[in-house]
Amino acid sequence: MAVARPKTLRQAKASYATNSELAWWIFMRVSGLALIFLIFGHIFMNNIQINVSNVDYAYVATRFSKGWVKVYDSFLLGFAMLHGANGLRYNVEDYFKNPQRRFWAKLILFSVVAIVFVLGVMTLWAFSFEEMGDAIDALPHGN
Amino acid sequence: MYRGREGQWAFLLHRISGVALALYLLLHVIDISLVMYGPDGPFNAFLGFYHQWPFRIGLVAVMAGVVYHAFNGLRIIIMDFTGWGVKYQAVMWYGVLALTAIVGVPVLVKVIPEIIGRA
Repeated sequence: MAVARPKTLRQAKASYATNSELAWWIFMRVSGLALIFLIFGHIFMNNIQINVSNVDYAYVATRFSKGWVKVYDSFLLGFAMLHGANGLRYNVEDYFKNPQRRFWAKLILFSVVAIVFVLGVMTLWAFSFEEMGDAIDALPHGN
Repeated sequence: MYRGREGQWAFLLHRISGVALALYLLLHVIDISLVMYGPDGPFNAFLGFYHQWPFRIGLVAVMAGVVYHAFNGLRIIIMDFTGWGVKYQAVMWYGVLALTAIVGVPVLVKVIPEIIGRA
């Protein structure tokens, strides 16, 4: 670990050479707070209110046909992917000491995150599951 | 072996749970994205595979990681933005563990019967 990470807002402002590193430091706290509510809600809806083993195509398609779920899940996807990607980046910065390996680790990390993020956005917004309403209702376990 | 004190364990668990949750998130987005193949696609077979008990137990571990990471994240925010947070960080870590158990036990009561096939 080259430089110890700061532990207070004042230390963070003083020690980060770039504005972007300070912005990420603040983002981790703000997004973390939002994610507590978003993820607890997500788990409550999909793991506590129902038996998660009943989740199937009909359940997910029905959820994604609702506008509020698309918006809720978009915030969840955006915050979680950025928070998780930056957290993984902290690990790469701390534990990959060889500059070349660190470069490749970050390149692979950001590439994977970008691809999965696009996949998530497509799932939420590129399909109109509501147009399949009758077909979904006809499926078993529809709810 | 140096075992450290509360702060180091809090940090280590936050790191491990964070990496695990980030990797789970990537896997979760990929498997849910299979709905794009439609009702006759691989989605139901894939999720059926994940509904087997070893993966359901894995999901319990993921939920435990979420709850710990959430409450310890609050502890970090308190340490960062209040004048008194760092002084009480060790006590707050025991609070984090207690809150994790308080939230976790009812979840286990709900979920374990599902996994062993009694609900």
